[in-house]
Amino acid sequence: MSTDTLTERYVHEVVRRIPAGQRDDIADELRATIADTVEGHRDADPAAAERAVLTEMGDPVRLAARYSGRPLALIGPELYPAYLRLLKLLLATVLPLVTVAASAVDLLDGKGAGDAVGAGIGAFFVVGAQLVAWPTVVFALIERTRRDGEPLPGTPTWTPDDLPEVPQQEGGRVAGMVSAVWNALLLGLIVWQHTAEPVRTDGKRLQVLDPALWSGWIWPVLAGLAALVAIDLVRVGTRGWTVPLAAAHAVAQAVFALPLAWILHERLFFNPEFLGTVNGGLTVRDEFYTVAALGVLVVAGHEVFKGLRAARKQAA
Amino acid sequence: MSSEELIQSQAQELRRGTVVLACLALLEQPQYGYALLETLDAAGVAVDGNTLYPLLRRLEKQGLLTSEWNTEESRPRKFYRVSPEGSRVRAGLLREWRDLATSIARLTKEIPPA
Repeated sequence: MSTDTLTERYVHEVVRRIPAGQRDDIADELRATIADTVEGHRDADPAAAERAVLTEMGDPVRLAARYSGRPLALIGPELYPAYLRLLKLLLATVLPLVTVAASAVDLLDGKGAGDAVGAGIGAFFVVGAQLVAWPTVVFALIERTRRDGEPLPGTPTWTPDDLPEVPQQEGGRVAGMVSAVWNALLLGLIVWQHTAEPVRTDGKRLQVLDPALWSGWIWPVLAGLAALVAIDLVRVGTRGWTVPLAAAHAVAQAVFALPLAWILHERLFFNPEFLGTVNGGLTVRDEFYTVAALGVLVVAGHEVFKGLRAARKQAA
Repeated sequence: MSSEELIQSQAQELRRGTVVLACLALLEQPQYGYALLETLDAAGVAVDGNTLYPLLRRLEKQGLLTSEWNTEESRPRKFYRVSPEGSRVRAGLLREWRDLATSIARLTKEIPPA
């Protein structure tokens, strides 16, 4: 039999993924079965019939998985909850610790704030990638080596005690207050650093943020923040989101976040004089601006989404 | 999804488990893969080859089927037939099947046909 027919290529693709002991037997049976099916095919042209039959049999990888009983998923449904819980735990605890520690070490070494932020960002991505990669590899290996239905050793089985508390159904008053205070603080800080010029150097007083912003981009940011504070207070008063309120909130978030992201992206954020005096010339890495700008947009987008979702839920 | 499509997909779920029982029933007589597929098809138990052929292997591995290569004809074929253990499992499955049919009949007695 020639070895370059479609059937031969198909059979080869299937059996090479099957344990060696069964290969020949499955290959022989598969050949006979395909030949039988081609013979019984309504298409008179044998080549077209062969093609149609193989198409019907489908992806050899899938067929081989069925023969060998191997999973076609990296991490199957039985392990997936434990995998997800572990990832969440690692990313919520280890990652922030390592990020802060990396920054702190740089600061303690007497390096500048820019270096420290850079080290933190570097640690965040490197350690974050590792924290995702290694559990994934380990779980995929366990998925491929364990026997069917065998529970994962060392993982506690789920009990009702693991249930989280239901989120408070008081219309998000606490969240609204926290958000109002936070936005008001941010607003106050920006104005304060402009009027009080808190940084002192060589008898001069400096602002932290670029003073040039006050003849331009800072105003929509401040207006957006003020609107956000007002909306948060209304929300606390009315005990929850309404659709018009959520829409106004979305506009306010956009007015606040888009100019801020632009300021960060264009590196118009810090007062160059301030950077020049701190630690004898501070350079802020490009990554900082990119990550900060993206962070502002992501957080604002998430807030808008949360508000709209809560409004829809309350309206329903 | 139209209700017709919903019926189709739910019916597929219903039929999935019946393929094993149908195989155990038909393979009282030795049969090879493709012929079994045709017989099942004709009997209204639709199953794809890429499901049936690995399934036969699995049932053989579980000891419910035995197999033998028949090389008398021009094309050697692997013939499967039910083992004594397979017969016992078939009897058990049939009992389950009949219980289920009785239960469903009782449950749906009051429901007028749509």
